[in-house]
Amino acid sequence: MSIVKRPDIKSSWYVTSIVKGMALTFRNMIYNIFHKDEMPTVNYPEEKYEYGPRFKGSHILTVKKDGSIRCTACMLCATNCPADCISITAAEHDDPEVEKFPISYEIDTLRCVYCGFCEEACPVDAVRMGPEWQQPGLNGSSFVHDIQHLTRRPNLKGGYLSILDEEERHNSGI
Amino acid sequence: MLKCTVNGKEIEVAEGTMVIEAFKQAGEDIAHYCWHPGLSVAGVCRLCMIEVEGAPRLMIACNTQVTEGMVVSNNSAKVQEAVKWGLDFHLINHPLDCPICDQAGECGLQDQYMKFGQYDPEMAERKVKKRKVVDLGRKIVLDTERCILCSRCVRFTDEVTKTSELGIFNRGDRSEIGTHEDKPLDNDYAVNVVDICPVGALTSKDFRFKQRVWYLDNDSTVCNGCSTGCNVNVYYNEKGYFRVKPEHNKDINDYWMCDKGRNIFKHVNKENRLLKAIKKTEAGTQMMAPGAAAKDVASLIKNYSSDQVAVVFTGQYTNEEYEDAMMYIDKLGTKKVYHWVNNSESFDDFDGILLRGDKNPNTAGLIKALEAKSLNSTWEQLEAELNSGAIKLVILAGPELQEYFPDIQEKIQLFSKAENLVVLSSNPNPAYRDVDYLIPMKTFVEKKGSFTNFAGTVQKIQKMRLVVSQALSLGEAMQLMAGDELQIGASL
Repeated sequence: MSIVKRPDIKSSWYVTSIVKGMALTFRNMIYNIFHKDEMPTVNYPEEKYEYGPRFKGSHILTVKKDGSIRCTACMLCATNCPADCISITAAEHDDPEVEKFPISYEIDTLRCVYCGFCEEACPVDAVRMGPEWQQPGLNGSSFVHDIQHLTRRPNLKGGYLSILDEEERHNSGI
Repeated sequence: MLKCTVNGKEIEVAEGTMVIEAFKQAGEDIAHYCWHPGLSVAGVCRLCMIEVEGAPRLMIACNTQVTEGMVVSNNSAKVQEAVKWGLDFHLINHPLDCPICDQAGECGLQDQYMKFGQYDPEMAERKVKKRKVVDLGRKIVLDTERCILCSRCVRFTDEVTKTSELGIFNRGDRSEIGTHEDKPLDNDYAVNVVDICPVGALTSKDFRFKQRVWYLDNDSTVCNGCSTGCNVNVYYNEKGYFRVKPEHNKDINDYWMCDKGRNIFKHVNKENRLLKAIKKTEAGTQMMAPGAAAKDVASLIKNYSSDQVAVVFTGQYTNEEYEDAMMYIDKLGTKKVYHWVNNSESFDDFDGILLRGDKNPNTAGLIKALEAKSLNSTWEQLEAELNSGAIKLVILAGPELQEYFPDIQEKIQLFSKAENLVVLSSNPNPAYRDVDYLIPMKTFVEKKGSFTNFAGTVQKIQKMRLVVSQALSLGEAMQLMAGDELQIGASL
């Protein structure tokens, strides 16, 4: 059985709490005015917070040395994705050395939970989670990123180079 | 019968059984790449190693016959070690292709590596590079690098199709599989080599890169491509149907199927289907729900006397559908029921392996259903009555596989001589342009039932994933056209 507590005269006497709270606020405000460099908050968007290098932000599709996309469309990221936000369509490449490549690769970042499982599953270092964390958009469709955005958006400055190089691997005899 | 002990389990096997078959019979795991139950024994992969009590060395299970009182095992440390090294030898020149390999997910080598491997390679030598993406005709792509030279495909073309296109060329670690001068591998059973390839060396062009296999579900059914009735597995997911593989049935198709049968899933997918019923009106065409269109036909039938209505069947529906349809034809009262026989001149053809000239899965079932009601009108009668105008309304239970009905255009023109033509069909066709009612039907993967093959064997087909949920089965369509309401839960 639940007991309903009715507000009594004591609990409705809230003015003292307000005064206490306001005192704390003003004390901190005056302190921060005189000690600006100790302030824990930043003036976003003029100032931006620097996250650590391990931060998992917006997805990046890496490129090979010739600028073509590294991804081989093996679908392991899409299989591993717990949010089911990656959709890939594979196609046959004209170059027999490449053989298979994604003709479309879309990530629905509104579904994405930024867990980084895609990055972990990728066998060829094709998908990474980069440092960017600001993603403005006008409507839902502007959060579904296509291959063009993921590889060559302006922030990537020409694309990220994959650490895995097929030619080097080939030359070393693997 | 011989008694033997497999990994501690005592079983009885028939005389002449190989040890590997005894393992299968006992339900014990044993690796094998070169051994295939439908082919001869080659004994080249050296992975089905077993230890036989009393024998000093390990033996291969695929080429050792079971003897009375034999005690065999494959779980000792000695066997595991041998299998591990056998695997290592297979992987010496095997490329790291799994991300782009279509076999990944159903690959024997992957399974074996997860079980015995998972170590860093111990070979210091460089891998031998071989040719990749070799085009072998319309159906198959060959990757000689991935091949582990199990010779299953070579034995298949030698023993089953007897065409001998494939062979092993060169020697030592430069050996590779191929056809002479890369001639196309285009026989009618060629895609079977893709199924039996334990790695991704042979891949099917049709399925290549369409889906990863772990996204697909599969169910067994019967191929509706011809009257042989091969047992097949159809692979599908929520995006549609993707491929067909044969399933073992020793009385009908053994382990194989023909390449024509590999296409039977294509007409099922939504982009090729008839989604709504189409009614031709004076103002043009009107889209309707299939059930509503069938009811519309029912009100149209009431204008005619029963002998002005004719029904034409094709042998592409299930026994159960014919049974239901005959019941409602009785209700309509017409005796004018006809059997549309396609390609009658090649009807009895047989290529000696599986392909038959009768391209309907259930001709035998239809003939039986017609005989049961003693309906024996001939095609000449139909033509004569259509020409004289005695038949006012034709209901055509149209073919599901339209490619096997090359005379569809002429036949529709013939039926159009009647005042009204109702066509029941799963797929649209340019020939159906001037049809009065076109009603969508379910395909063979969307309904339960059975097909009777050429030899009279009745085999069940399964309901898998619905593609067009509104589509009707033949029984339902006839029921609605006879003026009855559908019962909930009674549909096929």
